[in-house]
Order: sequence, then C-alpha cells, then structure tokens
Amino acid sequence: MSIRAIYHIARADFLERVRRYSFPVTLLFAVYLAYAAGTGKAALRLGDYRGVYTSAWIGVNMAMVASCFISLVGFYVVKNAIERDRATRVGEILAATPLTHTVYLLGKWFSNTAILGVQVAVLALASIIMQFVVAEDPHFDLWALLSPFLLLALPAVMLTGAIALLFEAMPILRGGIGNVMWVFAWGMGIALAPLTGLEWLDFTGLFTTMESMTRAARAAIPGYNGEFGLQIALGRPTILATGLRWPGIRWDLPQVLLRLGWVGVALAIVLLSIPWFDRFDPARRRMLSHARRRFRQEPITAPAAVAEPTAARAQPTPRGALVHLSPLRGPRSWGVYRMFAAELRLALKGYPWWWYALAGGLIVAQGASPLEISRGPLLTAAWIWPVLLWSAMGAREARYGTENLIFSAPRLLSRQLPAGWLVGVLIAAVTGGGAAVRLLLARNYSGFLGWLAGALFIPTLALALGVWTGSSRPFEGLFAALWYIGPLNHVPGLDFTGCANGAHTVKDACCYLVLTAGLLISAFFGRRQQLRCG
Amino acid sequence: MELIIEGVSKLYRGKVWGLRGFSLALGPGVLGLLGPNGAGKSTLMRILATVTRPTEGRALWNAEDIVDSPDAVRCALGYLPQDFGVYPNLNAVEFLEYLAAVKGVEASAARKRIVELLELVNLTDVAKRPLGGYSGGMRQRVGIAQALLNDPQLLIVDEPTAGLDPEERVRFRNLLSELSGERIVILSTHIVSDVEAVAARIALIDRGQLIVQGAPEALLQTVSGRVWEVVVPSPELDALRQRYLVSSAAHRSDGVHARVVADHAPGAAARPLEPSLEDAYLSALAVRRTQAAPCGGTA
Repeated sequence: MSIRAIYHIARADFLERVRRYSFPVTLLFAVYLAYAAGTGKAALRLGDYRGVYTSAWIGVNMAMVASCFISLVGFYVVKNAIERDRATRVGEILAATPLTHTVYLLGKWFSNTAILGVQVAVLALASIIMQFVVAEDPHFDLWALLSPFLLLALPAVMLTGAIALLFEAMPILRGGIGNVMWVFAWGMGIALAPLTGLEWLDFTGLFTTMESMTRAARAAIPGYNGEFGLQIALGRPTILATGLRWPGIRWDLPQVLLRLGWVGVALAIVLLSIPWFDRFDPARRRMLSHARRRFRQEPITAPAAVAEPTAARAQPTPRGALVHLSPLRGPRSWGVYRMFAAELRLALKGYPWWWYALAGGLIVAQGASPLEISRGPLLTAAWIWPVLLWSAMGAREARYGTENLIFSAPRLLSRQLPAGWLVGVLIAAVTGGGAAVRLLLARNYSGFLGWLAGALFIPTLALALGVWTGSSRPFEGLFAALWYIGPLNHVPGLDFTGCANGAHTVKDACCYLVLTAGLLISAFFGRRQQLRCG
Repeated sequence: MELIIEGVSKLYRGKVWGLRGFSLALGPGVLGLLGPNGAGKSTLMRILATVTRPTEGRALWNAEDIVDSPDAVRCALGYLPQDFGVYPNLNAVEFLEYLAAVKGVEASAARKRIVELLELVNLTDVAKRPLGGYSGGMRQRVGIAQALLNDPQLLIVDEPTAGLDPEERVRFRNLLSELSGERIVILSTHIVSDVEAVAARIALIDRGQLIVQGAPEALLQTVSGRVWEVVVPSPELDALRQRYLVSSAAHRSDGVHARVVADHAPGAAARPLEPSLEDAYLSALAVRRTQAAPCGGTA
C-alpha cells in the first residue's frame, strides 16, 4: 500500500513537472552541458593535458559535468516539490488523507531524483554519441561509459534532491535564505574531500575520479605535475597525452558501497525532513502563524448569521444601510515618484529591525574602514545582504498572485517597472554607499565606475530574471553563485563590485554597464509582453 | 459610456475554445453573466479587463479598441478577478495605498477613499493587521475594496460573493445595486440568486457561446406556464428526473415536492408554479444541450 502511494506521489509530481513549460528549459540546460562537455568547454583536465577519449574518459567527463553542475543548478530546479502542492492547494487535500509524512516525502524525493535523473540521462546519451563522433578510440565499452553516471552522478543528484526537500521542509531555509545558502553548502561539499583527503566526503565523485586519473597520468605523462580539475576553460586548449588511455575507475565492492552510501545519506536526509514538514498546516508556518497568533488575541466580533432572503432584490442589510462612497474627483496622479514610494515601501516591508541594523552597520563599517577593506570584503558582504529584496523584483506579482489586480492598471510600463528598478538601485546604492563615498574621497574614479556598474547591474539582473521567470529562485541561485565566484573568490571579470578586476576595472565596468542596459531592455520587453496579453 | 463586444473568441493552447464569437453591447447598469463552471465567463472577464488578449473579435470601450489602447479602459476599470493574491506582509490600508498608486489615484483622494472603502467592506477594525492573517472572506472583501478604489466607470466582478458570509453577500449585492446607476457593472457568477437580486440584464453563456440575453422578465417569460410542482414518492424521483427537467426537489412528509420545467403538466396532479430565474436558466441550458447533442434529451 505504502509503496503504491509512494509510486503515485512520485508519478503525479513528475508528470506535473514535465508537463510544465519550464521543463524543456531545464532539459536545454542539460543539452548545453552536454555540448560544453563534448566540445571541451567544461572538461576534466590534468593540468594542460587530457587523456585519449576512451569510453571511460568520455563517460566520467560527462558524468562529472552532470554530477557537479546538475547538483548545483538542479537544486533550484527541484526545490518546489512541496511548495507546488502548497500553491495549488493539493497539499491540503493530501493532508486530510491517511498519507504519512514518510510516504509523502519519499514520493517527492523519488520525483526529484527522476527529474534530475532525466538530465543525467541526457548527458549519458550525449556521451554515447560523443564517442562515435569523436572516434578517438574505436573500442566501445558500455559499462565504462555508463558506470560513472550510475555510480557517481546519480547518487549526487539523489543527494541534491533530498537536500532540496529538507530545505523546503525547514521554514527558515524554505525561501530565499535557503536558495542563497545552497551555493555555499554546495561549494563546501565540493571542497571538503580535496581539503581533508577523505574520499568518503566526496559526494560528487570528483575526488574519486581525481585519485584514479592522476595516478594513471603520473605513470603515462612524463613531467606531469599532479594538477587536476573540472574546468570551464573557454579557448584554453589541452594537449592530448596519447599514452594515457585511462581505463576508468575500478569499481570494487568498497568503492561501490562508498557511492551507494551517498544514497543512504540522501535517504537519511529525507527522513530528517519529517519532523520539519508542516503537512500544509498554515498554523505551523512561521510567518503566518505569527500574524495569526496576534490576530487571535484580538478576536473580531463575529457577524450574526443572516438568513438568505428568498426574494433578494436589493434589500437593506439587517445591520444598517450601506456606507456611501464619495465620488472620486480631481486628476489622476501618474508621477513616477508616488509609484517609487509605493514600491519602496512594498520592498522594505516585513523585514525585522536587526536586518536594518546589520545593513546600517555594514554601511558605517564601509565608511570607517581602509579603502581596500571597504570596497573589498565589506562591500561584498553589504551586497549579498539585500539579496532577498532584489530577488522579489519583477517576480513579486507572480509569486503572490497579484498579476490580475496590477496588470489591469493603466500606464504600468512607464511607471511601475522604472519605479521598481529605481528602488533596487537605491537599495544597492545605500547598502554599498560607504564604499562609494570612500572611493570618491580617494578620487578613485575607475573604482567608483566599477562600483556604479555593480550597483546598477545587480538590481537589473534581478528585475530581468524576475520578469522573465516569475520566480525569485533563478536570481537567488545565479546571484549567489556569481557572488561566490566573483567578489568572494576574486575571479577577475566576474567580480561585479569591481574590486578584483585590477587594470581591467574600467573595461569590465563598461561590460557590466552594457550588460545592464541589455537586461533592462529585456525586462522592459518582458513586462510589456505580460501587460499586452495573457 | 458603452462597452461593445464584437465576435470575441479565445482559443487556448491545445485548441480548446474558451470563448467563441461572443457579441454584446453594454450601457450603464448591471449585467449578470450566468453560466455553468467552465462556460467561459472568466475568460470573457479577463479579456474585458485587458488581462488576456482575444484570439478573434474585438471589444470597444467608448469606441476605443481595448487591445490597441488598453489604457483607455484600464483608467476606467475596477476589476475583481475570481482568483487573486495579496501581499501577506502589508496590511489592508497599505495594500490599498499601493494599488491606489498603481491605478494613479491621487494620494489625498486615495486616503479618503480607502477609509470609506474599508468601512464599506467591514474591515475597518482589522485594517492594520497583515493580510497574511486574513480569512478567505476577508481577503475577498479587500478585493472588492480595491476594485472600487478608482471609482470605476466599468466594474467587472468575477464570482465576487465566493467566500462571503450571507450578511456580506447581501451587503455586496446592495452595493452593486447602488453603484449600477452611473456605471457599467458586469457580474459574473453561477449563483442565480446573486444575479436575480441586482441584474437589470442577464446574459447566459455556455461552452463559450452566448445562449440568450435580455431583461430578467424576458427570460422568465421563456418558462412562463412551464413550471410545475409534482409530489412523488422518494423512490420515483430518479424516474421523474429521467423524463423531465427537475430544477429543485424538497423532501416533505407526503413525498418529494419536485419543481419541474415542462411544456405540459407532468401528470394530472401537477400544480402550476410561478417561474423563477433559476428555472429559466436551467431550461435554457437544457435546451441548448439538447440541440448540441440530439441523441440526449429532456422534456
């Protein structure tokens, strides 16, 4: 009975997801990954070398791309299994059935796994095609090609699916905070095994692959320095080490059990979600329960029941006459300022005092610290703090279902969109204001240009993604990843604060400004399309 | 002030027609749009509210095409959709202030209007509480208030009484009656009593097409002399339903008192009744469906 229930929960969830228009987009992502891996844009490298494209190499290369990138991005793809049931109100129907939390969550986990599994399967299929297209090695070994997908990529995406479910079940991680946290959790997960040297901490299989490949490379490539990585190497060619015909990972029993252990960890995480899962009880939801507690302390006077009049042609109500509305006279107010004030209040509403206190503290600290600290780590921190304010831009109407109310209002495109964008820019300018003042005082105009580009780029990216996707998650995931790679890890070009770009600060700032203009135009057209038809 | 709908159709993905060749001309007053679930009422409402584009046909607001110049109608529009959301962290006043800014209502006029509207919909006492804690009926009243925020000339309300308690429902009907003199009100519902109470004109819609439209009296005329009361034992009710259109039935000590719509008296003991709008509505639907599927049939 339970297995049947698990199957049907997983099946219904899977079908509902694959029939949504967003699913082909996620498949396109998998196809792009396959293309990137197939053309060497995202590939395993042994320093400047690579081995012969045997079945084993191609399989593990594609599997690692799947394991690492689908586990990162796939989290955002599947982190709506419970939320969808909440939004569609199917959850309340399910909650009133004998369905147990375990059965429900296991069903959702299998569905998450199936969705991500389809993406892994796309890459597996691509790896078969790649071997025949590249034809570097005529010997086709199906097990060597597919075993990395089964034993490396699949456990990784199963774990991702389970963590997504845990995040959805935990109130604090359900929203934007969880979306941002995942980038850090994923980054730590990837780094843990290489840093500690402990293979059992390697959830993606990258460390296991590294151990096996570098061992083979040392024997086959003279002067090989031990470098290894899964790199996005645009235009950086590799040298084919013809002597390196890597046979693949040796799948002995301990190795297989180690990988299957991650399936066990994923299962444990699903079970860990059970006490957090609120079973769609609104009273257990943190934010609403707080509001409702206050609400119940001051009960509303219940209106007396009134019988339906049989011939109800406009009779006076039993409790008195209607309030008469004064006619609305005077001109309409189409100024952007009023709209800006309304959008600003909407954006800032609902944040606790300590949120403002910390934002204020960061502004003061930027002003009081040495320039490099101010525009470096402090600005970096200051510009991740309002991520949830930005991520609501453009997506708020879809998220709260207010499109019908708002999109039927006049002159919206020329007022609401610019007002919302200006609010986002203002938030960036204020939260990073300390660093801007320091840059201007130091007459570091190129640095200020970099800062300005960042302050314009962040809210514009948020607005464009929000308008086009109707969701906060794409911006939260992408921005957190970009923030992690660029400002935090000082990758030149990707540091949108302009701090790590050195001599290229002005050039990079100009690139960001051009990108910002493009994003703004795309947001405008996206919203225009929403306003013109449904 | 006029709204003219000319041959409006909407084709959804999957080649499903939500609306087909719908035409109607409207002046001030309440139009009750009646139809069963899935008839196309909400599709028509969304098209008139400029939320959805028609696939064919056009709608003219004071001679301006609402697709080509949506702002012309949007400036005059109050729209209460069937499903809508609210921002849970805002209270009712803040939410209405936000929508007033969106609709271009001048700030001081908006403040006064919001106070009146909150009193009108009985939410003054809870106006400062976050909307996230409101019940469904209270949210619906917020929806009603926002629809009236800009003193609209065209008020479109889609299933407005859903979730309202009986008292609020009657209040809302009275409000529509009061508002109707100076504006066009389109009330879409499947609850006949709501329409009966306020509509000066009724349009019946089924499967995306307009079946009949006119004054309630004209609709009632279509079943005049065709409504009967028959008393049958409980076990015979199903057989009666097979043969006739039974618009209602009530169990009494002497059997089931069934209200039957039929051209001729369904039995010697049948007693003629005053027709109701519900009888007319059900009869029109039954006739339409009989025509659409000639093998089936109702008396």
